[in-house]
Amino acid sequence: MKPAPFEYVRPETLAEAVTALDHEDAKIIAGGQSLLPMMNFRLAQPERLVDINRIVELGQIEKTESGIRIGALVRHAEAARSDLLADHFPIIREAMPHVAHVAIRNRGTIAGSLCHADPAAEWPLLVTLLEGEIEILGGNGPRKAKPAEFFLAPLVTDIEETELVTGIYLPLPDAPCGMAFDEVAQRAGDFAVVAAGALVCVKGGQFAEVRLGLGGVFDTSVRGSALEKALTGKPATTEAIDSALPLAVEDLEPNDDLHASAAYRLSLVPVLARRVLTRAMKVAAT
Amino acid sequence: MTDATAYTRPKYVGQPVQRLEDPRLLTGRGRYTADIQLPRTVHLAFLRSNQAYARINKIDMEDARAVPGVIGIYAAADFGHIPDIEAPSKMENYRATACPVLARDLVRYVGEPVVAIVATSRYLAEDAAALIDIDYKPLDAAITARDALAENAPKLHPELPSNIILERVFATGDAPADIANAPHRVSGRFNLTRKTSVSTEPRAYLADYDAGKDELTLYDATNIPGIVRDELARLLNLDGNQIRVIAPDVGGSFGGKGSLYPEEVIVADLARRLDRPVKYVADRLEEITASSQAFGEEVEATLAFNADGRFLALEAEIIGDIGAYSIYPWTAALEPVQVASFLPGPYKTPAYRGRARGICTPKPPTGPYRGVGRPMAVFAMERLVDLAAAELGLCPVEIRRRNLAGADDFPHRIGSGLIWNRSGFQECLTAAEEAIDLPALQAEKAAGDKWIGVGFASYAELTGIGSRIAVAPGMPMNTGAETASVRIDATGAITAKFGISSHGQSLETTLAQIVAEELGVKPEDVRVVHGDTAASPNGTGTYASRSAVLGGGAAIKTTRALLKKVRRAAACLFDVDPDQVETGDGRIFVRGTNHSIDFKELARVVYADTTALPMDRRETLEAQETYDPFLGTTSSSTHVAVVEIDPETLAIKLRDFVVAEDCGKLINPLVVDGQVHGGVAQGVGAALLEELKFDETGQPITATLADYLVPTSAEMPPMHIRHVETELPDNPGGFRGMGEGGTIGATAAIANAIADAVSHLGLEINSLPITPNKLHALIAAGATQ
Repeated sequence: MKPAPFEYVRPETLAEAVTALDHEDAKIIAGGQSLLPMMNFRLAQPERLVDINRIVELGQIEKTESGIRIGALVRHAEAARSDLLADHFPIIREAMPHVAHVAIRNRGTIAGSLCHADPAAEWPLLVTLLEGEIEILGGNGPRKAKPAEFFLAPLVTDIEETELVTGIYLPLPDAPCGMAFDEVAQRAGDFAVVAAGALVCVKGGQFAEVRLGLGGVFDTSVRGSALEKALTGKPATTEAIDSALPLAVEDLEPNDDLHASAAYRLSLVPVLARRVLTRAMKVAAT
Repeated sequence: MTDATAYTRPKYVGQPVQRLEDPRLLTGRGRYTADIQLPRTVHLAFLRSNQAYARINKIDMEDARAVPGVIGIYAAADFGHIPDIEAPSKMENYRATACPVLARDLVRYVGEPVVAIVATSRYLAEDAAALIDIDYKPLDAAITARDALAENAPKLHPELPSNIILERVFATGDAPADIANAPHRVSGRFNLTRKTSVSTEPRAYLADYDAGKDELTLYDATNIPGIVRDELARLLNLDGNQIRVIAPDVGGSFGGKGSLYPEEVIVADLARRLDRPVKYVADRLEEITASSQAFGEEVEATLAFNADGRFLALEAEIIGDIGAYSIYPWTAALEPVQVASFLPGPYKTPAYRGRARGICTPKPPTGPYRGVGRPMAVFAMERLVDLAAAELGLCPVEIRRRNLAGADDFPHRIGSGLIWNRSGFQECLTAAEEAIDLPALQAEKAAGDKWIGVGFASYAELTGIGSRIAVAPGMPMNTGAETASVRIDATGAITAKFGISSHGQSLETTLAQIVAEELGVKPEDVRVVHGDTAASPNGTGTYASRSAVLGGGAAIKTTRALLKKVRRAAACLFDVDPDQVETGDGRIFVRGTNHSIDFKELARVVYADTTALPMDRRETLEAQETYDPFLGTTSSSTHVAVVEIDPETLAIKLRDFVVAEDCGKLINPLVVDGQVHGGVAQGVGAALLEELKFDETGQPITATLADYLVPTSAEMPPMHIRHVETELPDNPGGFRGMGEGGTIGATAAIANAIADAVSHLGLEINSLPITPNKLHALIAAGATQ
């Protein structure tokens, strides 16, 4: 379990990073929590590792007029600690303890999680739910991608090998809203069997906006669009949520794997959907 | 004048003495095999089989030899001078297997070492390994034990008559007839899937050869340094005094470091051939796929009982999936035969018939694992006991109370022939019952918001086994004696040497407590040396819950012999009778007089002073004694698990856990509790998480810690331990072994608790681990029936 030989480059600036990535077989290393195990198993054998940890500007969390920008190098633990994030997106602080274990949260980065694109991971679910944008930089300059464009399949994204994710942008919700996160994992810190996040706005006793994000039940994180549509405009009650739950499993195609059958995963979707939607509704109502 | 009566003789045995090894281990100053750096060391990597059962057609090493830093690449033919590893046994109906140190012609499991690569670094050795091409011809194989049992199953060892390499039957009375005639009976087929040890420290070996003296030192992460030394001497054709095996700090074994491995032999041999230190440190992948594995057993059993719930007869068929080879020195009989011999447990069951068979399959060899045989035996038996209770509408506590051997029943012989001596079977059950509020839990269960389950498991185990009984069936090796030597050197310092070794048992502390108490010094004054074959002429190591009883017994016997010498020498110095000399607090004194010296002064007088004592009274302040308990002593316990299952997600939460145990006299309650906690953690793993899975071609599919799940602190329940001390066993310290019990009871208690929690669904919990996913499948299957 030792990696194959590789060349190691450590740029100090984004421009140097882009230059370093202009190579036939380069990989970015940030927290190393997914890449290094794969290299140790020799499942990944990049010729060049581009270490971006020295690029200071990638480590910031900043508020802009309409949203919050989180730099690619922000660690899960930093995101959990950030009061700025917690003030606007309390769901992030709620979700972070589910990201693996303390040591991994201290090193692992947001961009690393997004680029690894595990369909059960928390960050892909969060950016999907929060309708964020992924900011990407390459030789042709910067571009942005929506989650649906970025996540293509399990462990497959839209990013080119010569590009790097520089951060994510999360737009502030238009109106006050409630958010909630929950997941079922076999052990504390394991990848979720199923994860669910909700964002709910209530106006005049009715659901003004409903978002449901699900992880672990499809090739990528997904939104429960049918349920969202059905609930919007309905009275904000637990009964309304309960009656919409069958829609939550529509079009989901979870896989069987070692730890959970597709049937078990599907059985968890309405349970977790109800829990997060109900909780988010109650927060939104207060 | 000093008042000698002021010296005290504090009791150290039984006290929560802080661990003496902790300052070293907790500040990162432990010295493990991988930490040891020797000049000119070369590193070993293995290319292992990626086939379950295949013929090796050709190995192409040409490209690999060209990798810079490569020193040598070796295949089976390069070790033709080393005999195959075979585990002999006097057991009837047993066939040893021949295990070459590198696979020769055939590979028999994924992970079996085929090529050894030596390079100046492990990285380079692995780069070279990646360039070696082995051409395999896959062979038909029976992957599961059931398939391998079939008459026409392809044989894994063509030279053996079949895949069944061992069979043993235990019988008392006519169990089949009694079962047929009994008014009530319950049956089940129970399955404990394969596990592995997952020590924090993987296996590691470093061999250092001194060509000038033709002496070999092997630093070895093992818990059986003596056994390794003895067998290496035979395999490498050396004398024992040419090999020293040192187990430095060892980061856990749980049985996984308790057998002889081909890698150890190769490291030792190559160090001599290359005349350079050779190091091998297993990585986690190798640890999971190529260290000895555990369990892999199926028990089909029937328990018959009368209308009062009293057991009449028990019958069982046990199949052990022992893997590719019968492991040295324990043999493949260790696990399955122990399942059969312990199955009747602590209960009075007049008739018994149990048959154990061990089946070769193309998987890694099974070996010892904390609890050996008993986790499976207790799981099967305790499920049957609960099924019997349910059939009669009896409380699980009551049916156990009616059948456990009581104070008047000892010595109690069970149907397999094992004899229990006095132990607190009933007392532990009572103490466990008192530690939980059963009516409150039952009321909560009845409320039905959560599925609450309470599970009991009672067991007995034989520990501290003496020379009368082989630890593994028919093993031609005496595992029943241990030697200690305790010396006071010329500086007055005390060193106690043992043949046992420690891989987490706190023996540096507990043995020092014993020596200190016997000699009249403080525990921190006693330096314990163990895990080094130079420390003792003979010693087999630490396993089978033996070291407190055997090592502790040897410590007492030896220290008492040394104390006699101390008193003789001091008596001569003080000019009194030796009986008047006392020791305590590091002083040697005569009560009511001003005769008082410390051990330093005594050492000076004996070793350095040529005038104080006559020459013939200057005896060496050292003693060496061997202790053999001849029989074993019975440890027992009742475990109670309380589980809570979320009816919607089926998430299983262990809410509470009780262990009431009789381990005789406690040497150190902190250490005993720690052993119980750790053992229960492994029981939690076996019951809820840990499972080595293989696909239909024999490929391991749980080869990382992301797929092979072990419990973390987050999965552990609050634990309540009750120590029950009944009549002490007949050994010098009154100790019973307690290193494995946590694992033995917890697995079954959790299984029973889950069965209780889902009893309203009529589900059978008969295969472990049980997970939310498996519960979902069981419920779905039940719903479609």
